[in-house]
Amino acid sequence: VSVLPLTVAVLVTGGVYLLCQVSMIRIVFGITLLSHAANLVLLAAGVSAWRAEPIADRVDAAAAADPLPQAFVLTAIVITLAVTVFMLALAAIGNDDSTQHMPETGQDHER
Amino acid sequence: MSPPLLALFVVVPLAGAALLALVHQRIVVTTLHLAVPALSAAGGVLLLLAHVGSPVLAHGVGGFVPGVAIPLVSDTFSALMITVTSLVTLACAAFSLGSGEAWLRFFPSLTLMLLAGVNGAFLTGDLFNLFVFIEVMLLPSYALIAMTGSWRRLGVGRLFVVINLLTSTLFLIGVGLVYGAAGTVNLAALAGLGRDDVRVAAGASVVLLALAVKAAVVPMHGWLPRAYPGTSATVMALFSALHTKVAIYAVYRIYSMVYDNAGRWLPLLLVLVAVSMVVGAYSSLGERSIRRSLSFQMVAGVGYILLGLALSTTLGLAAGLFYMLHHIVVMGALLLMAGAIEITYGTGRFTRLTGLMRRERILAAAFALGLFSLIGLPPSSGFLAKVGVVRALFDAGPATATALVATVVLASLGTLVAMQKLWSEVFWGPPMEELPPEELGHHDGHRACAPGTRVRASLLTPGVLLVVVSLIGFVAGGPLWELCIRAAEGLQDSGTYVTEVLP
Repeated sequence: VSVLPLTVAVLVTGGVYLLCQVSMIRIVFGITLLSHAANLVLLAAGVSAWRAEPIADRVDAAAAADPLPQAFVLTAIVITLAVTVFMLALAAIGNDDSTQHMPETGQDHER
Repeated sequence: MSPPLLALFVVVPLAGAALLALVHQRIVVTTLHLAVPALSAAGGVLLLLAHVGSPVLAHGVGGFVPGVAIPLVSDTFSALMITVTSLVTLACAAFSLGSGEAWLRFFPSLTLMLLAGVNGAFLTGDLFNLFVFIEVMLLPSYALIAMTGSWRRLGVGRLFVVINLLTSTLFLIGVGLVYGAAGTVNLAALAGLGRDDVRVAAGASVVLLALAVKAAVVPMHGWLPRAYPGTSATVMALFSALHTKVAIYAVYRIYSMVYDNAGRWLPLLLVLVAVSMVVGAYSSLGERSIRRSLSFQMVAGVGYILLGLALSTTLGLAAGLFYMLHHIVVMGALLLMAGAIEITYGTGRFTRLTGLMRRERILAAAFALGLFSLIGLPPSSGFLAKVGVVRALFDAGPATATALVATVVLASLGTLVAMQKLWSEVFWGPPMEELPPEELGHHDGHRACAPGTRVRASLLTPGVLLVVVSLIGFVAGGPLWELCIRAAEGLQDSGTYVTEVLP
């Protein structure tokens, strides 16, 4: 029963630790861990035990799983994936991925 | 306007975005780039008219059973927000045509996608969909921030993405907690649960925390003044009108619906808004360029707007809403005019600009009126907004009222001093030196420009028109105030909202 909350706790701890690093890649991994934690929280909001497929007329509604948290998680995964790819692109530009240096764009620094 | 048409506020900008991603003819780009925000603003006005008769319009997308369907809900509050944000988007689109950014590949397309997300966030009646629409709004923003702006844009782009994804994750966790506690994320079904059920209150508070970061409430404001000035003026004006305001809108909506404006947590909010006003107003003093200075005034504005929610009386909510509408318009105006200066003179730094009052008479006059509006002097919408906030404060207890009126005055003084500094550096002083182009730019201490440099009309007009809107907000203050009162009553009366969404 306590596996889910413990997993969330571990993921959040790791995520927060990585977020506090200077390197962009580590920050991206930190965000990834945190979003996994969020997905697990969403799943836990439904019933975490195994339930039958939520298909109308085939499975009794009382025995079926709650499809809504699963739909939430699916949407969240898609969004996080898209942003993660963009963040990795932002990490790859410039000479290093340190967030203390601004990547050059070839523009005048005076503006 | 019949309820199913509400979906058009999202569909039309999205379709426009898709079309603009494919078509590149100048005439098509210009037309769609201007027509879609204009249509959205016109739709907002139609909604406002419709709400005279029926205060709430609701539509379950796809015709599912109420409670299961994804609801789109509109009331006076959301209609007002749609109208004003679309108007500022229109001004930004017009400015981007003048500044040439509109001809960057995908720029107009991304702007319309942003508008679709914003309209969706204003209309949705469901917490999870709010998350989705905020993401729809943020994804094009990530690209916009990386496309145009100063050399810092990629660095601040990293900051902006990380902060927003982090808060979105937090938001999602909050949604999960609310769903776990209440079994629904439909706002109408959650009505009043935050007051009655501690678990829902705790879950929704995580959502509110995430929104507070997105709205840049002090002490979670640090990212905004760092990130926004790194973008171009067009994008900054767009973001200031849309992003933080969507977050504030959601805070208003969620606190009014879920917590039913419960008084228990309001003292905490009062402290936060008081600190926001003062810190934002005075932080401007340390900045040395126009847009950096203005970015802190955005933080101060968030304080004034949320002050209305912290009072949670009809007058207070109406004053907060009025301030929000005023702030969206005047911030857009000032930022677009700052952009016109930056594009024409190549810099927004105080040390490189001087004496623009004599060079750019129309711009200087409009900018001065915009600053009047920001500070809260007549004849501008800012005056009425501040009077409204102070008037609403009188109804609070005597100690609270005294302390907060003093805070408002103190913060306004800070804004006044900071904006005076901006004005005297940029607009007063000896006239700009005129140097031949080859001698420009490389030696410090020179406040110079090429001979005959003038701000083009195409860059000037959008900002000036927004200032005119702010002046109209002063002249037509009465009817506008009535609208805000109606929106505030709609926020307090969650019963009508609930019966419309869940008949």
